[in-house]
Amino acid sequence: MEALATTVIGSAIGAGAAIVFAAMGELLAEHTGVMNIGLEGVMGMGAVIGIIAVNGYHTNAYVALLAAIVVGLILGVIYSTATVLIRANQVLCGLGLSFLGTGLSRVMGSSFAGSPASDRFMPVKIPLLGDIPIIGPALFNQNILVYAAYLILPPLITYVLYRTRHGLSIRAVGENPAAADACGIAVQRLRFLYTSLGSGFGAAGGAYLTLAYTPAWTESVVAGRGWIAIALVIFGDWKPLFVILGAVLFGGVTSLGFVSQARGWPIRSSWLAMFPYLATILLMLLPRLFRPRTRQQKLSGAPAALGKGYYREEG
Amino acid sequence: MTGSLSRVGAWRLQRRATSSQWARVIFTVIAVLLGLLVAGVVIQLTGHPAVVMARRAVQVTFGTSRGIEEAAVLATPLLLTGLGVALGLRMGLWNVGVEGQLFMGAWAATGVGLFVRGPEPLLLTMMFVAAALAGALWVLIPALARAQWNISEILTTLLLNFVAIYWVTYFTMGPWRDTVGAVLTATFKVPYTLPRLVGPLTIGILIAIFIAILLSFALRHTRWGYEISIIGGNRRAAEFAGMPVTRHILTTLLLSGGVAGIAGAIEIAGTMHRLSSTISNGYGYLGIVVCALGNASPVPMIVIAYLLASLLNAGIVLQTQGLSVNAMLAVNGLILIFAAVGEMASQYQIVRKEPEEISPVPSSHQEFPAASEGKARLRHGVDNPAPGEDRVPTDE
Amino acid sequence: MFRSQRPPDGPIVVQMKNVWKRFPGVVANRGVDLELRAGEVHALLGENGAGKTTLMNILAGLYRLDYGEIRLEGRGVSFRGPADAIEAGIGMVHQHFRLVDKLTVSENIHLGWKETPWRFSKALLTRRTRTIFGELGLNVDCDARIWQLSTGEQQRVEIARVLTRGARVLILDEPTSVLTPIEARELFRTIRSLADGGRTVVLITHKLDEVVDVSDRVSILRAGKRVATKPTVDCDQRLLAQLMVGEDVLLEQRRQTRTPGAIILELDEAEAEDDRGQVALKHITLCIREGEIVGVAGVAGNGQSELAEVLTGLRPIRRGIIRVHGQDLAGRSPIAFVRAGVGHIPEDRIGRGLVEGASVIDNAILREYRDPPISRGFRLDSQAAFQFTQKLVDEAGVRLPNLRLPVNHLSGGNQQRLLAKREIRVGSHLLVAVHPTRGLDIGATDEVRRSLIQHRGTGGAVLLISEDLDEVLSLSDRVVVMYAGQIVGEFTSSNADREEVGLLMGGSKAEGKAAI
Repeated sequence: MEALATTVIGSAIGAGAAIVFAAMGELLAEHTGVMNIGLEGVMGMGAVIGIIAVNGYHTNAYVALLAAIVVGLILGVIYSTATVLIRANQVLCGLGLSFLGTGLSRVMGSSFAGSPASDRFMPVKIPLLGDIPIIGPALFNQNILVYAAYLILPPLITYVLYRTRHGLSIRAVGENPAAADACGIAVQRLRFLYTSLGSGFGAAGGAYLTLAYTPAWTESVVAGRGWIAIALVIFGDWKPLFVILGAVLFGGVTSLGFVSQARGWPIRSSWLAMFPYLATILLMLLPRLFRPRTRQQKLSGAPAALGKGYYREEG
Repeated sequence: MTGSLSRVGAWRLQRRATSSQWARVIFTVIAVLLGLLVAGVVIQLTGHPAVVMARRAVQVTFGTSRGIEEAAVLATPLLLTGLGVALGLRMGLWNVGVEGQLFMGAWAATGVGLFVRGPEPLLLTMMFVAAALAGALWVLIPALARAQWNISEILTTLLLNFVAIYWVTYFTMGPWRDTVGAVLTATFKVPYTLPRLVGPLTIGILIAIFIAILLSFALRHTRWGYEISIIGGNRRAAEFAGMPVTRHILTTLLLSGGVAGIAGAIEIAGTMHRLSSTISNGYGYLGIVVCALGNASPVPMIVIAYLLASLLNAGIVLQTQGLSVNAMLAVNGLILIFAAVGEMASQYQIVRKEPEEISPVPSSHQEFPAASEGKARLRHGVDNPAPGEDRVPTDE
Repeated sequence: MFRSQRPPDGPIVVQMKNVWKRFPGVVANRGVDLELRAGEVHALLGENGAGKTTLMNILAGLYRLDYGEIRLEGRGVSFRGPADAIEAGIGMVHQHFRLVDKLTVSENIHLGWKETPWRFSKALLTRRTRTIFGELGLNVDCDARIWQLSTGEQQRVEIARVLTRGARVLILDEPTSVLTPIEARELFRTIRSLADGGRTVVLITHKLDEVVDVSDRVSILRAGKRVATKPTVDCDQRLLAQLMVGEDVLLEQRRQTRTPGAIILELDEAEAEDDRGQVALKHITLCIREGEIVGVAGVAGNGQSELAEVLTGLRPIRRGIIRVHGQDLAGRSPIAFVRAGVGHIPEDRIGRGLVEGASVIDNAILREYRDPPISRGFRLDSQAAFQFTQKLVDEAGVRLPNLRLPVNHLSGGNQQRLLAKREIRVGSHLLVAVHPTRGLDIGATDEVRRSLIQHRGTGGAVLLISEDLDEVLSLSDRVVVMYAGQIVGEFTSSNADREEVGLLMGGSKAEGKAAI
């Protein structure tokens, strides 16, 4: 029984880590007011670059991760140029990016399909903490990317957003870019920076899948995690800690699927595969159901200027 | 919002005062060509002879009757899913779940076709109705969530796409699986077919075109169409006018799902005759592209769907030479980005700098529009305005 | 009086020379020269559309001038953006505050400020903010979020924010439009002390009495040009009005008296809630008759918006009675109110009354599209819609070659003319007009006011809600004053006393004519 609990929790953490990377990136971008729904494609590209680096060019996993992040940043720059600079429609550009990334990554990855990564991120046990019964091996015997995702990114981002001058500027840009502009804050620059950065995080999440989680490439390696990450940002009301919670819940549902498969529980694999997506939809609905309608606008964490391009009404 | 963008010499960019249809069309065409060009370059760089392939593809798809027919077959689901997206978009809603709604429509049609017996015309009608209902049901939850709680329909509809694929997979690998014959993992063959037109083409394309024309008429000449466009333009103004906004959000999205579901029925009854998880090759996603390129107008979308289908067909032809469906998806993604940028570009025009801007010497006859609108008026109540004299003391 | 006793002779701190600025379709500033001195309160006077805000936006770094130059203390400067202007000591408080609603007062004060510590705790920010407000003599709850504050308090935060950035030149854009007369006096006190301390305060306004009350010098802009600059001591209201408008102007009101007819609208002990679920209207008892204009005076936010919504079906009443021409309309939809002959010129013209991207036709038929000849059954007859629109446009006196153009191609004045005409048609019994002349140039303003009076002349009734007290007083037959969701006073046009109305607007009980 303990072993089952450990497996489920550990697997949940591991499954959620990819989402955490992507969601943190999206959270940053959305706090500046830019929605990047091309995250799915970015994750795909990150994943494929990761596998090509280790299996095709025989680099080590760290270099592969770096390469993936760089590609993610480049895609982010392309997306930002279109949406922040040119102010093209964010939904269209995001969908386009998701198609582009998904399609291109599958084309590039076709010859690498199925073969495991020749170098990967192995689990590293944290001494002492890793020995705690049940949760020890689950939480503290993961690879360093997982530690980075859960232990470093969220606290760092929370700190920056809510306790630094820079973070204050970020939040203001997403809420009321005109006000931020009037205060002398470089609205466009911040948006460009964090949208590109967010994309880099997304690619890291994708690379995690092929370099640590699976660790191999298949056409369906991303399987909608990019979309789920975006949904979880909404579920988490744009606050990093709640988004983590959502990621773990998602991971939990996914891992239950694996575990039940392994244990031969009498549920079809197709049904199990549905659960993570249904769970995510449910997570999106839940907060709204419990919040009284009249207060929604002002109490929602949604940046008020999300999705709209900023014009200075310049002459 | 107004504004100019930059100054280069004696020219500058300025936001158009009136939007130009032509500019839009031209930029859309440029976007597509640019996307194809980039794709071509990439293909060339990866070792395939792009120009030769392109020529061959064009030859086959436009030059042979078979090519034209097959493109028309492919155009049907593209058009229908595109119409689904367009309906939502008219109200500012993004139903990107048309892929899943197509799947569910196909599933429902298959279910009816496999288990209900009767004369073919009746059964075909039942299949279509079932498909439309299934497609509509599939968008119900996202529609309710959006109408009631303003939850993003982009994500909810999109996530359901994945669920739909697994749903269909379950049935094709499980209870409905054809254990006797088929090469693919698919269901038994559905015994009812749509009447054939020519070659592989059935009346499915006619159904799609009919729906497009019907929607175009409804959007332009009915109260419903007017209310839809007002809600899409300014929801608060629609409420101001007493329109049933929530109801319309629901019904339009349901209709949108239904249309996409019908696409699924046509795929079953017209083309594939069996349900499998490859019933759609990303048609729903391509439908989004059709809608975007066609600016959500049903009739132009007919042509665009055909052109995009030809492109897809060309891709399939080229599949023999090493390209794949995924490459199509990537190219379409690129086209979509270019189209979005192009849409923005079409809102600007290049304008020659006025002489006064370079060295403004005020001309005494330039009238400020606002002042010339109102004649000289007194500032008292109303009944007897008397023109005053124009006296402008201009001391320092 | 808040004017300085000394003549304005401080050193010149700002010079704007030959400034030109154009936007697509209109030239906002034509070769404007302006000089600002240290220690003065300089009023920038002009009608809506004269170019005052544009000129100051250029000085504050938000717009770039197309031609001309700006000199600060003799040196030519060029601002690439608001940051440069702030750096140079120029701060602007806009009509629509540049505050971030969801952030706290402390966070807003520290936003984009180089003296903000790069990292901080909430307590640290609060402490710092309290100190700042203390030094400035202003009083606001530092931990409150902006959306929780009153407009007057928000303005104080905005002013504090600008001052902490070291503004030597403070520009205020129509600051009293959101204040009660008492709060306005507080503001003038603050402005005077700032000027006495050596700063320059620019007051953008269209109100003549403010210019006379608080400024040392006044520059008048008209149609994009500077028409005159004078020491305020040398001006009276009539001269200023003349300069502002360009012709001889009589400030008195003349209106034919009418005897009001049958009761059109009855509100009895009506109560309603606002969007947050709190009580917005209490014990509202009001009657409006045919042939009368009833004006509602009050500072924005005291229930006027909710009153307008209740009267047009956009907000239900929780208690009480609402009747139009004897018909009970409690809880009915806007359509029922339209059918009952109630029209509505909304305060948010673009946000509510019009659909920007839609054609003029689509906008014109917005209220009557359900009825024949435009609609029969489910069909919408485009030809009938076209003719309906043509007629409306002609009646409104708007020249428009192409009715299919999007409505946002019309000027603000033309949009409002169209909107007013549309609603007057609908509101054959009652027209609810909310801020109908806000932001319009003088020509359009005048026409809208005439239409209201004309409507009254043909037997309709008008409920006029306006932030422009002069407009309310001059147009209305009766005036009611709203404060905190209740009607606190009622006057007829003959016994309406501006001071008393002002007091009631600010919440004091009327105690006869109190001098300030």
